[in-house]
Amino acid sequence: MGMGLEKCVHCGFCLEACPTYVITRSEVHSPRGRIVAMKLGIPSEGLETCVFCRRCEAACPSGVEYGEAIASVRKADPIKKIMHRVLEDPNLLYASLKIAKGAKTGFLSRVSEFVKEVSPPLTKEDKDAEIILFPGCLTSVLFRSTVEKALNYLQKFYKVKIYNGCCGLPHYAEGNKERALKIAEKLREEFKGKVVVSLSSNCTAHMKEMKVGEVYDFAEFIVKRDLPLPKVNAEVTVHDPCHANLLGLTKYNREVLKRMGVKIKEMEDPSFECGAGGTYFMFQPELSDKIMKVKEEKVKKSGAEVVISTSEACNLALMKYSKVLHIADLL
Amino acid sequence: MEEEIRKIVGDKWVITGEEKTLYAFDGFTAVVGNPSLVVLPGNEEEAIEVIRLLISKEKKMIIRGSGTSLSGSTVPLKGEVVVSLTRLNKVYEVKGMEIEVGPGIANIMVTKSSPQDLFFAPDPSSYVVSSIGGNISHDAGGIHVVKYGPTFNSVISLKVILPNGNVEYFYPTPFLNPTSIFIGAEGTLGAILRARLRLFPKPKAKKTIIGVFPTVEKASKAVVNIFKAGVIPSSLEMMDRNIVEIVERSRFRAGLPRANILLVELDGNENEVKESSEKVINVIGKLEGEVLVPEDDEKYWLARKGAFPAMGVVSPAYLTLDCNIPRKYLPEIMTEIEKISKEKNVLIANVFHAGDGNLHPLIPYDPNDPESLKRAIEASTEIFSLAIRMGGVPSGEHGIGIEKIKTLSKYYSEVDLKVMQRLRNTFDPKGLFNPCKFLEKCEPINQVTRWLWEWD
Ligand SMILES: Cc1cc2nc3c(=O)[nH]c(=O)nc-3n(C[C@H](O)[C@H](O)[C@H](O)COP(=O)(O)OP(=O)(O)OC[C@H]3O[C@@H](n4cnc5c(N)ncnc54)[C@H](O)[C@@H]3O)c2cc1C
Ligand code: SF4
Ligand code: SF4
Repeated sequence: MGMGLEKCVHCGFCLEACPTYVITRSEVHSPRGRIVAMKLGIPSEGLETCVFCRRCEAACPSGVEYGEAIASVRKADPIKKIMHRVLEDPNLLYASLKIAKGAKTGFLSRVSEFVKEVSPPLTKEDKDAEIILFPGCLTSVLFRSTVEKALNYLQKFYKVKIYNGCCGLPHYAEGNKERALKIAEKLREEFKGKVVVSLSSNCTAHMKEMKVGEVYDFAEFIVKRDLPLPKVNAEVTVHDPCHANLLGLTKYNREVLKRMGVKIKEMEDPSFECGAGGTYFMFQPELSDKIMKVKEEKVKKSGAEVVISTSEACNLALMKYSKVLHIADLL
Repeated sequence: MEEEIRKIVGDKWVITGEEKTLYAFDGFTAVVGNPSLVVLPGNEEEAIEVIRLLISKEKKMIIRGSGTSLSGSTVPLKGEVVVSLTRLNKVYEVKGMEIEVGPGIANIMVTKSSPQDLFFAPDPSSYVVSSIGGNISHDAGGIHVVKYGPTFNSVISLKVILPNGNVEYFYPTPFLNPTSIFIGAEGTLGAILRARLRLFPKPKAKKTIIGVFPTVEKASKAVVNIFKAGVIPSSLEMMDRNIVEIVERSRFRAGLPRANILLVELDGNENEVKESSEKVINVIGKLEGEVLVPEDDEKYWLARKGAFPAMGVVSPAYLTLDCNIPRKYLPEIMTEIEKISKEKNVLIANVFHAGDGNLHPLIPYDPNDPESLKRAIEASTEIFSLAIRMGGVPSGEHGIGIEKIKTLSKYYSEVDLKVMQRLRNTFDPKGLFNPCKFLEKCEPINQVTRWLWEWD
């Protein structure tokens, strides 16, 4: 099997960048091991335990395109496929999360550990909207107030329409690539001729890679359009969502914070995985909890009370032990 | 036995079936082994129990760190049990200018776990991943060897489980220092369980100077002249045009000029650095080199450290030589290497620790074409033979492993080898630890090991 993995020279530079290797220290749960398994067609457990954070790609001098390879090898089971469908429909997602939030036992109770508050997605469509505000599927129902703040801010300068839906990243990451491509196709239609501003940085990164249109991350848009910002007196640490980091988007968050006069107390390795990874936290609870623990230590060591994070799943994980704010929440 | 091991470490940490193949080779990919079992003990006690059990059953084993050896020294050739010590990565104590760690900790974490004003000096390019146990067992070098010495100079004491099952601490003494015997032992004298390491104060000032040269010979002369000018740089690395071209196609590209590059790092106090940098700039200028003094030098060092894996952009596999030669022969050997490259029709890219004369000719080959591997091995044999003729050593830092067994007889006398052999037999009379490597000659298991182990 080719899959572009020939470039891997088995040097191991990616190992310590990989959250599942860091917590297991086993080749089975490492990028290098997973690549060998894929190359040789070995049915390894590691192929299931990958968080799909693609930190290994950033660490690889040779430029192995790991993400693409594993996305092609994985096959989603029916439960995952159903979950993916739910993510695509904001109203259904809202209804499902409301039920899950009350769950005391079983699979759904894992969701209730993370979800504090659910609201119906905000809708808005200015006449002749120039800009599409894309909250991201989870943000639309879990962080409605963030969406409201972002909308208010953008409406000062533009006519805005909100698009509630999913970018397809969970599908792509978890063995449902075909569906992910369909979603990208649909978004390409929806976004035609419009400028899209996304509130979830990992979704932004994915949509950019899938080339669905002119998509900006929220902070990127503010910086590139040089929009005015208020001064905010705060001290924070910043989490860099993994995919956004790979594409070099996280520097815009820092730039916006700097322009607002916010003091940043950096944590060690800010792009280290949050532990949530799409639906990973539901299917790999044990590993996910361990990764969260490592992240928690890094966050706490920074000494800051507030974490700025602009990706929805990350925020859920970070909220377990810290106060978490989106850039839009500061506006 | 598998059952007993499972009881010690837990089911999750015993790897059987096809997944074992993930532990069948390391950074040297030309020979794939076949472990009978892989075990990952979770702490020192478990490691001791597992190793004692294997000893009691007379099971042969390979102690493995992060598996980045470039000489194939962790490849299980005859169904050995692989004991991976990566999970033993604790920091036990940080005191004064010393730190005590478990063997599985990655090199990079040692400095990260040390007081802010101190650092662990030996940093092989693989420092982001390679383990202290592996660094010690290969006496790893790195870009700072030229000033701070290889791993050898930074090890204070060791806790080892010996092949007789005893666990012992070895402390330094001024006579017959027992610690040193384990440094570079390639896992053949026992398993290191803890290491107390020396830390150095971080220098007050640092500066990177880049020399850009039209020819390798001129760059090599500059290396010699920098020392003649009385400067001991903290790093002095060379990248020839071939490797620069390759790195500039990789993810770690730094925008280096397509030429032969010297990367010089100077450290010390402000005045020292200023004085040395004037001298270095002068040397480079006199040899028609161009000088760059970058504000932000990180990307250049990243490009240097990522240069081996960057080979992936041209070839999925390559051999990495590491012979040392006296610095004064650098210009000569570089010319000879270029000749060998032409004669054997192989690409040779050079990126190496020029300051201590430690060469790294990288020779790519196609893993699906045995003939290309044969040619690469032939070219490498010629290069290390040449290095030995010039008064050098066949391996400066990557170890003997399975890759360089035949070089030993060329470099050492029969008596030397007998003494080393006797040492090994004293420690491990049954040959349980890391068989078929280093000093132990085995029958070749396939055509590649035949090429590697036998003279024509
Ligand atoms: C891209 C790349 C760049 C490199 N750059 C350099 C460089 O600049 N300088 C350099 O010197 N090397 C370099 N290396 C080689 C390699 O990284 C080093 O030899 C390193 O020290 C190996 O460490 P490891 O943890 O991977 O050990 P492994 O490969 O796992 O093992 C190496 C040897 O150590 C033994 N061993 C491991 N742990 C223990 C233990 N606890 N007790 C007893 N024996 C043990 C093993 O049995 C084996 O013989 C590089 C390798 C790569 C892939
Ligand atoms: S994926 Fe890249 S970094 Fe990881 S082992 Fe392969 S070549 Fe090295
Ligand atoms: S995507 Fe993330 S979890 Fe998966 S192998 Fe790469 S670094 Fe590890």
